[in-house]
Amino acid sequence: MVTSPITRSQISPTSLPQKAKVQDFSFYYGDFCALKNITMPLCEHRVTALIGPSGCGKSTLLRAFNRMHDLYPGNRYEGEIVLYPDNTNLLDHRVDPIEVRMRLSMVFQKPNPFPKSIYENVAYGLRVRGVKKRALLDDAIEEALTQAALWEEVKHRLRHMAFTLSGGQQQRLCIARALATQPEILLFDEPTSALDPIATAHIEERIHALKDQVTILIVTHNMQQAARVSDLTAYMYLGELVEFGYTDEIFIKPKEKRTEDYITGRFS
Amino acid sequence: MSLQKIDTKIRADITRRKRLDQWFSLLGLFALIICVLTIVILLVDMCYDGWERLRPEFFSNFPSRHASRAGILSAWVGSALVMLVTFFVSAPLGVATGVWFEEYAPRHWIRHLLEININNLAGIPSIVYGLLALGLFVHTFGLGQSIFTAGLTLSLLVLPVVIVATREAIRSIPTAMREGAYALGASHWQVVWDHVLPYSMPGILTGIILGMSRAIGETAPIITIGALTFIAFLPPAPWTDTWPYMHFEWLNAPFTVMPIQIFNWTSRPEAAFQKNAAAASVVLVTMTLLMNGFSIWLRNRLRKNLKW
Amino acid sequence: MNTHLSKKFDSELDAIRAHLTRMGGLVEEQIRAAITVYAEQDPELIETIISRDDRVDEMEILIDDACTHIVARRQPTAIDLRMVMGVGKVVTDLERIGDEAKKIAKATRHILERGINQDMTRVVEIGHLGGKVVSMLHDVLDAFVRLDVSSAAAVVRQDREIDAHFRSIVRNLITYMMEDPRTISTALEVLSISKSIERIGDHCKNIAKDVIYIANGRDVRHIGLDALEREINTPPITPG
Repeated sequence: MVTSPITRSQISPTSLPQKAKVQDFSFYYGDFCALKNITMPLCEHRVTALIGPSGCGKSTLLRAFNRMHDLYPGNRYEGEIVLYPDNTNLLDHRVDPIEVRMRLSMVFQKPNPFPKSIYENVAYGLRVRGVKKRALLDDAIEEALTQAALWEEVKHRLRHMAFTLSGGQQQRLCIARALATQPEILLFDEPTSALDPIATAHIEERIHALKDQVTILIVTHNMQQAARVSDLTAYMYLGELVEFGYTDEIFIKPKEKRTEDYITGRFS
Repeated sequence: MSLQKIDTKIRADITRRKRLDQWFSLLGLFALIICVLTIVILLVDMCYDGWERLRPEFFSNFPSRHASRAGILSAWVGSALVMLVTFFVSAPLGVATGVWFEEYAPRHWIRHLLEININNLAGIPSIVYGLLALGLFVHTFGLGQSIFTAGLTLSLLVLPVVIVATREAIRSIPTAMREGAYALGASHWQVVWDHVLPYSMPGILTGIILGMSRAIGETAPIITIGALTFIAFLPPAPWTDTWPYMHFEWLNAPFTVMPIQIFNWTSRPEAAFQKNAAAASVVLVTMTLLMNGFSIWLRNRLRKNLKW
Repeated sequence: MNTHLSKKFDSELDAIRAHLTRMGGLVEEQIRAAITVYAEQDPELIETIISRDDRVDEMEILIDDACTHIVARRQPTAIDLRMVMGVGKVVTDLERIGDEAKKIAKATRHILERGINQDMTRVVEIGHLGGKVVSMLHDVLDAFVRLDVSSAAAVVRQDREIDAHFRSIVRNLITYMMEDPRTISTALEVLSISKSIERIGDHCKNIAKDVIYIANGRDVRHIGLDALEREINTPPITPG
């Protein structure tokens, strides 16, 4: 939809409805400060992309949302990531990480379906919550696979092992698995870096289709992917948030020179 | 001109390296042939000696003073029962310990100490286990010279193997699997029960069976705790006609095992008994090979669906 | 043509094409109105034409902006890239056609201000020339929608007629000016109007060449008509 350039820049991204807000968030691996005072909104029903060179901290920031860092000792959080509308601070040690992971789902870089059947893969998130009734599981699984645009391809072989699927199908299976639990935020950690261009295009198309139901945060090292897929982009460098804004503006006229240098490939 | 010289020099070098390759592979083949030949000769010799004894009666006769009528009934039943006890003691203990080390143990110097100790246990001579068992199980706990004691002793032997196999199997599970499970909201125990254990099962089972196939041939510890060498009766059968239709009397019964029976026959002067010993050895080796074969088959079967 | 895997990309390209077609329709309407107003000399229509040109300018900015966004976000290639680059050029030509229509209206206003209505016979010729140019624009927009190379080439050929017709109008005007010097000021306005129409024809020719570029990938600017017609009829050279 061609919208007038004048109206677009009138709505600042910070005044869009928000699903979460990162507030003065710093993260330490032991003594090393990996993220420095990040403040950034996560706008509801939008795709936000985190871009930046290797080691800039974008995956670290993403994995902080669902407390994946808790799995490894020696990490420390400072600041908050607040989830709306209930204003829960996801990083609070009083908040159980399991609860956080029930509200936010993640899709990983390399497709990692469990060595189980397709059915059991998608069902696992529900089983973990104690859902046992066959009818409920069947419905939820069909819904999730449809949203991942995989239902037609696998509906006749749900009992087959997940590894019989191609790489792109496996990643869509992982998306279905993440969707089955109806998360509020979907986190993608470089979801297509292991896939060929056509599988990548399928996944990008799915991401676009899903944003009406769920807020999406995607980390990608492929700038063109960020340009194609996201509504808002955050550029990070060495643990800092350099610039955050509409993807159109960042890719046409970024505010910071550092951003422009990265995007145009002018790196010293 | 100089280009041609370099060429021939490189070519000579390649030929030299290829020749080295061939020599090395021949050496390896030679070593392999020697090993295989040794084993084959041993087995063939055993079979030749004991062939006439390998009749069905051999398996259903008790030992006797007459070589031709002597059989291994009490021995193989004893071995089987002892293995049963070993399995039910060592498998749960070993797997649980392995899981605890990999999943729950905090990083502490005590943990390192424990790890080193367990890894070293596998190298302790089996007679030492026998002496320990004699003092601890037979006398201090008062369990007597029974199948149960033998099972416990052999469990001590097998335990380190199972623990190490469990740990290795668990370590080979990719982090991506775990993270995927955690990311869906699974608790630590759910991840262990639903993913870690099922995916490491092939490795664990292989470890258990390999441990047990080693234990089946152990003689020293069993002799030390006092297995008798001439048993002409079987332990009582575990089932009865009255409630609860099952009992564990057999655990306390005196017994013998295959290696001991072989030892016994070997130490007799009569040549006829050597044939018995040979036949029994063939049976023992076959039991061991069957167990190993089974573990390989099982592992392949279970690994078929474990692709990541 | 097959659709992209990304439906959003398809809809963005469709939107640009639709906007361009709409802009073309608007500009066509402006020229028609300008020719009419020269004949009927309706002062209200003159003002309408002049103010409506703002909309044409707005659409130019909008479409250019949309093209920039598509290049930034979609990294288009091949036909999509040529379409986006081509649209950028076509939009410029359309905007200039709009400006020419505005100039025609303003020149008519000057004629009216002077209150003279002589040289009415010139109206027929201008109307004829104007009609030709309107149909040229219509044809070239049609060729754009269908990416039809032969229709576009026909439009390029038509421009020769327009140029010839314009030159004959100039000769007539010169004759009139020599006969009666009092007609000079009006005649100059009429000359300016005819020049505008001739320029509209040139812009239509440029649009046609852009259409050929989008469809074929061949840049046929600055080569003669005969060379152009040869170009589009020969198959492309493949390497090896």
